[in-house]
Amino acid sequence: MHIPDGFLTLPVALISLAISSVFIALSIRKIRNENLLTSDRISILTSLSAGIFVAQMIAWPLPGGTSLHLVGGGLAGIVMGPWLGIITMSLVLLIQCLLFHDGGITAIGANILSMGIISVLTGYTIYRLLRRFTKHFIAGVIAGWLSLTSAGIVSGTILGASWSSYLPIYIMGVWHIALGIIEGMITGSVISYLNVKAKNVLRW
Amino acid sequence: MLSKNTIIALLTLLLISPLFGITLADMLGYHEPLDLVAEELGLEEEEHTWTPLKEYTFPGLPHWLGYIISGAIGLLIIFAIGYLIKHMAVVTG
Repeated sequence: MHIPDGFLTLPVALISLAISSVFIALSIRKIRNENLLTSDRISILTSLSAGIFVAQMIAWPLPGGTSLHLVGGGLAGIVMGPWLGIITMSLVLLIQCLLFHDGGITAIGANILSMGIISVLTGYTIYRLLRRFTKHFIAGVIAGWLSLTSAGIVSGTILGASWSSYLPIYIMGVWHIALGIIEGMITGSVISYLNVKAKNVLRW
Repeated sequence: MLSKNTIIALLTLLLISPLFGITLADMLGYHEPLDLVAEELGLEEEEHTWTPLKEYTFPGLPHWLGYIISGAIGLLIIFAIGYLIKHMAVVTG
């Protein structure tokens, strides 16, 4: 889902960058004001960033000739909360872009917006809502699924806005509704595991 | 800072990553939904190169090994950033 250079028009790239910058600044402010960056949280942030980074290098082949790798935005939102989750994903996306050219430098704002902000906020919100009624695993599956779907739709909307076309929204939306089920299963499994083996990780 | 289990899990993922990221990708020729959008709209990636590690390669090494080394470099940078943040957070209280 990493949009490369050349796929976005300049105005859309700049608007995406501006929106992402506002969210990152807001996250830093919230983290500072609410003292969220404790020593434990920094360790979890580092481990989770590393885990998401390496998991994104593993693309799974799927029937029909497509592939999927974990994006991890929903997982980051659930484990770290919205503000630290945004920073976790932004860190991963920046390293991927700057060091490995995975995602274009002109599309960094768009990529952070879809995978680093929208997917985190969606995953976090859905999980918090569903946890009142369902188990960790089910809440994690649905949160992970919708986080990837929403990231796909936003990514498609950004591409569509660049070229005045609804097609990217349709393609990215439909594909990620399907692919999101796998993201959801992974997210639900990890959350379920953490709830049993490392409850302190989910306590924030 | 990192538990033994976390390190083992990260190293395992890192070592198997070329199997999925390179070998199977080349063998099965799969692509992401974004590639379908590019095909439909006729978009082409602009070639800018600012890093020798582009697409998780490492100059002079076979792709699979470069993939692992690149991943290891990425992990080390993340750990270094984590260490710096932790250190600064302690310094600033």
